[in-house]
Amino acid sequence: MALALSRPVPRSHLSPGQLLVAGAIAAFLLLFLVVPVATVIYVAFTEKGTGAFTLVNFLDFARTDLFVRSFWNSVYVSGMSVVWASVFALPLAYLTTRFEFRGAALIQTLGFLPLIMPPFVGAVAMQLLFGRNGTVNLLLDDWFGVKVPFMDGLNGVIFVQSVHYFPFILINLSAALRNIDRSMEEAAQNLGSSGFRLFRRVVFPLALPGYLAGASLVFVKVFDDLATPLLLNVKDMLAPQAYLRVTSIGIADPMGYVIAVVLIVASILAMWASAAAMKGRDYATVQRGGGGLAKRRLKPWESALAYGIVGLILLLVLAPHIGLFLLSIATIWSFSPFPDAFTLAHYARVFGESSIYIKNTLIYATLAGLIDVVLGTAIAYLVLRTRLVGRHWLDWAATAALAIPGVVLGIGYLRTFYGVTLPGGTPLAALWIMVVLALAIRRLPYALRACYAALQQISVSLEEAAENLGATKTRTVRRVVVPLMTGGILAGFISSFSTAAVELSATLMLVQSNSDAPLAYGLYVFMQSPAGRGAGAALGIVAVLLVALSTFASHLVVERSQRAKGAAQ
Amino acid sequence: MAAPIPHPAPRTRAAGVRVEGVNLSYGTNHVLKDVNLEIRPGEFFAFLGPSGCGKTTLLRLIAGFNQADTGSVIVGGEDISGLPPWKRDVGMVFQSYALWPHMTVRRNVAFGLEERKLPRQEIEARVERALDLVGLRHLAERRPSQLSGGQQQRVAVARTVAVEPKVLLLDEPLSNLDAKMRVQVRRELRDLQQRLGITTIFVTHDQEEANTICDRIAVMSDGVVQQVGTPMELYERPANLFVANFLGTANILEGRIQGQGPDRIFNIEDGIVLPIPPDAVVPADAKLVFRPQDAALDRVETGAVPLPGTIAHREFLGSSVRYGIQIGGTEIVVDTPFQSGNVLHEPGRPITVSVSPRSALWLAS
Amino acid sequence: MSTRFLSVSAALGLSLAATLAHAQAPTGKVTVVTSFSKDVTDPFKKAFEKAYPGTSLEVQNRNTNAGVKFIEETKGNNQSDLFWASAPDAFEVLKGKGLLQKYAPKATGIPEKVGSYPINDREGAYFGFAASGYGIMWNERYAKANKLPEPKDWADLTKPAFYDHVSIASPARSGTTHLTVETILQGEGWEKGWRTIKEMAGNFNQITERSFGVPDAVNSGQVGVGIVIDFFAFSAQAAGFPVKFAYPTVTTVVPANVGIIANAPNKAGAEAFVEFLLSTPGQEVLFDPGIRRLPVNPAVYAKAPAGYPNPFKDAQFQKMITFDVDKSEARTAVVDTLFDQLISFQLNDLKAVTKTLHEVEGALAKKDNPKARALVAEARDLIAAMPVSEAQASGAELRGAFTGGSQKGARQAEVEQQWAAFAKERYAGAKAKADEALKLAR
Repeated sequence: MALALSRPVPRSHLSPGQLLVAGAIAAFLLLFLVVPVATVIYVAFTEKGTGAFTLVNFLDFARTDLFVRSFWNSVYVSGMSVVWASVFALPLAYLTTRFEFRGAALIQTLGFLPLIMPPFVGAVAMQLLFGRNGTVNLLLDDWFGVKVPFMDGLNGVIFVQSVHYFPFILINLSAALRNIDRSMEEAAQNLGSSGFRLFRRVVFPLALPGYLAGASLVFVKVFDDLATPLLLNVKDMLAPQAYLRVTSIGIADPMGYVIAVVLIVASILAMWASAAAMKGRDYATVQRGGGGLAKRRLKPWESALAYGIVGLILLLVLAPHIGLFLLSIATIWSFSPFPDAFTLAHYARVFGESSIYIKNTLIYATLAGLIDVVLGTAIAYLVLRTRLVGRHWLDWAATAALAIPGVVLGIGYLRTFYGVTLPGGTPLAALWIMVVLALAIRRLPYALRACYAALQQISVSLEEAAENLGATKTRTVRRVVVPLMTGGILAGFISSFSTAAVELSATLMLVQSNSDAPLAYGLYVFMQSPAGRGAGAALGIVAVLLVALSTFASHLVVERSQRAKGAAQ
Repeated sequence: MAAPIPHPAPRTRAAGVRVEGVNLSYGTNHVLKDVNLEIRPGEFFAFLGPSGCGKTTLLRLIAGFNQADTGSVIVGGEDISGLPPWKRDVGMVFQSYALWPHMTVRRNVAFGLEERKLPRQEIEARVERALDLVGLRHLAERRPSQLSGGQQQRVAVARTVAVEPKVLLLDEPLSNLDAKMRVQVRRELRDLQQRLGITTIFVTHDQEEANTICDRIAVMSDGVVQQVGTPMELYERPANLFVANFLGTANILEGRIQGQGPDRIFNIEDGIVLPIPPDAVVPADAKLVFRPQDAALDRVETGAVPLPGTIAHREFLGSSVRYGIQIGGTEIVVDTPFQSGNVLHEPGRPITVSVSPRSALWLAS
Repeated sequence: MSTRFLSVSAALGLSLAATLAHAQAPTGKVTVVTSFSKDVTDPFKKAFEKAYPGTSLEVQNRNTNAGVKFIEETKGNNQSDLFWASAPDAFEVLKGKGLLQKYAPKATGIPEKVGSYPINDREGAYFGFAASGYGIMWNERYAKANKLPEPKDWADLTKPAFYDHVSIASPARSGTTHLTVETILQGEGWEKGWRTIKEMAGNFNQITERSFGVPDAVNSGQVGVGIVIDFFAFSAQAAGFPVKFAYPTVTTVVPANVGIIANAPNKAGAEAFVEFLLSTPGQEVLFDPGIRRLPVNPAVYAKAPAGYPNPFKDAQFQKMITFDVDKSEARTAVVDTLFDQLISFQLNDLKAVTKTLHEVEGALAKKDNPKARALVAEARDLIAAMPVSEAQASGAELRGAFTGGSQKGARQAEVEQQWAAFAKERYAGAKAKADEALKLAR
């Protein structure tokens, strides 16, 4: 069976069009990713005073207790976040994919929501609910006289991060679980396996590639994220250290850039390790038995238990949203389990003052998403269907963007493009399109993976058939490949769009004026004053709803297109 | 499997299987309709039928993957209808083999034994035995993706028989193999079944497969068991048109039955009539069915009435010649043995066809 | 520019010269980089655009340090007109790099000093438009639930009752906190000042990265007490939060400033904005409930809401210390880094030893033990020890290390590691002594 299903063979010859596309992508990545990042991190390799090449700064890194401690704290927090994210994601993914579960689609959608939690407000809401004087602890103290340090130090970071990023595992794991042929499970049952043993010995190992893909993403994102630790006042982690150093006043010190290099290297290592672990474990194509998905029915008590678990997890992972919503309708919420009173005034203020943010966000995120899927599709095609020399470098470069902290990219853009002026005298970096490009580069890895997976599932013979009937390569791509990839492309667009809509770190450096600012920036501005807290929360809720609705709409489109395709086959 | 057997074959506890009054519907789709079957201990039994006839559904029902709306499945005298798949002790080889890609061949085969929490030594010994049984001991450390289709199939069989189930279920086990392998593997399967003496149910849509290796066959169509019998019984005495048509080639002539008692005739078309033998049991809407080799050309069999026809075309098959003959509005085929020196009839030539009453079947549609 | 405008200017009481200056028509986009929140910038934007029709105020919100960084990074092709923020230090940095345009405001009625702090830069590079004092803010509900006494002075925050209840922003990240730290250092002297700061720090619950993180945490009741600039507390009170504020004895009133950036694309607009801020209607905007800062024009206080502090009259402001801007500027990076290395990044160790010391003193209060008391004093001295003297702090060597000077010399990371190791060792020693003292005292 495995031998019969041979891997798609890359074509041997290249068309001029493909070369052109490859060249254009390479130029784009070079200009908007490699060069800006290089202008920032080269400082890490220069000697103080002379500017000569040196590695002494890295020696300083290794000799400084704070940095070493920060490094291990980051590793620990990232690792624990993966563990907790898995604890949240596993039951949701397993129950909704392998069982007949009413509301599975809703749960999957809700499970995606934490990813689109805008910065700042998530941690603020979590503090209000789980902080040392948050709702839960005040109630616990009242009833039992105890407090649980959910949010203290590294624990808080782990808690918030695992809630925030667990959808990466949920999405990847769910896809992998859906791919497991029912006969794989049935064969195990037939041989006497059931329940948790069945999951542990057969189902989970088969879904492992998907799980690893998600887990490595979580690890890298937590490793690179600086907003959450900073908001929780945890500074001895690597990403916050880099940020504090790079943006601190009067400090022309290379250590910030050294840390940025360490961050990039560590992230690339983590992704490489997960790729290495997955090598030869791509079971998706091996196990096509044609049996499709087995959805088991749950007994009533199992069902009750399952809904209980799912409900509990959803309550936990949606806590930031719940807290945020409460905050957005609260008058004063201070040292009390719940707000003193409720009001809709914050929403009135947001709609009165901030519709420009909403409009900008929609434009930026949509454009960034479009750029990403175009690039993603093109790179995936070049890598999977051509033998272009160096095509993997495109893939790697685009994926490496995942490991570039937003601040580094933002500063790099300022350095690279501020000197370049447009005819009107405006610097290139001041154009809002730079925000879009920065967002596009930051989210490209997500879209690329989705496009890659979509193309991988299309048999080469479908393209050969088109060519055999007289279609040129370009027309084949347009008429056969892209339509078949629609689902994957849309999935890529959704993930780019929805995460770009709430991205802050790169935009904070690049936004030049309020009228060009996206939502996340508006949130940041609101959250700087006591009276702005409620309005900021309201804007956060608007952002979440906006992204959730867009995502849901795209989901519907994907599903419809896939159903149409399924019917045709 | 062709290899000599260094270890004694695993003992199995041959058990009979009884399916009683099973009905199964998916919504309005009635997939299994009052299925009753009795499979004897140690028997090699086939569910034969076209795709969609319910044979795989019935097999999965025995394995516990489908639940019957009514009726029960009894294995070795025990009603297992209520048991989950993992408690049934009914081994199944999947059409796709369902070998776990994350385990080596050895781990795959050991799986069921580990689930039964057998002592480690026993597991090892039984894995070795099972692998020897299929001649794959040397590939024990490979991954399934490194094996050929035939080898994967054998691993799947080894994995299932290693747990010594009461019954062995084979779901189209040969469908993923090429034609040559299929002939070899089916013989090996039969051989293995004989050695183990295990009750085996084999699902296939290929009548040749069923005929060559099975003791008895249940022919299924549209969720209904049409007939159960040995391959010869089914061929010789099909219970209905479906069975006749599905097993081997059959000529079917439509006509009206006219007259009473000994004067009954079968009116195929104006001017083309056959007398019906007085002792023949002929249902009201019966059709005349006969095999191509049971008709004679230009030679009247004893008691047979010749039918006039014209040779429409001819196929030379080596040991025989197959003629297509136009009789009225229907075309039938007739096989005549070929020996060197025979002179063949040319297309277009008028000819008479006679069918001996012995080999003529009167079957209702 | 109609009669309406003229009548408005007349009402504003502007001089003729100023009117003439405006007549040269500030129009178009005025871009201001600011650390002030929307609550502050919005009322000013509205009032300014009303006073100068045809202009639009473009607000770029960045925290003080990021704003300075931004202006530095973009100086090659500057697109910002103004820098508008609290901390005078930040302006000093910009001035030092030649990034501010000198200007002489025409507004009248603004005295030379507020408290003892000069309102405008002597060289005319930036101008104070509002005063703020540093102090202590607390959440009343929190204080009640945790039975905290009302803090009145910095020393109160070193008491055991406040253990784990106090919050501060990192001075390296918050210009206003930096001024608070510098005020204590100047008011109490280098050695004693650091001792006070470290003793308070032993009671810290958190050191936030944003200035606003502190009032935010106090407002929501996550911590009880915060060391903040006054208007954070006043605007929170105005928003309805149950918080209070007190000015300690050693503090200072410092102006928040505005400065015109060199090569401003809209220089006329920038000057108009400066003039507006210093005009009476501009000063009155400061009374807005979302802003609540102290105007620098004493005459404006006539219209102040009841109970509004007046630094030109109220007695508490008269004893405030003189703030030496030059001294502060010379050692900014060193002070901030010392705070981070000795306190922020060693907070767990510092808290642990402080907790033990509180316990010892609690036990000693019940039953005195001279030996234990001596150990406590030794431990406190160890904690207070500084790796750097006041003279070194503003010395050329350290400055070089922190400004990436063109000479080869000590690298910042090296220095930091030395300080961190110094603190770690002293705190460990202090902990050992404190533990011993606790055994004796019990």
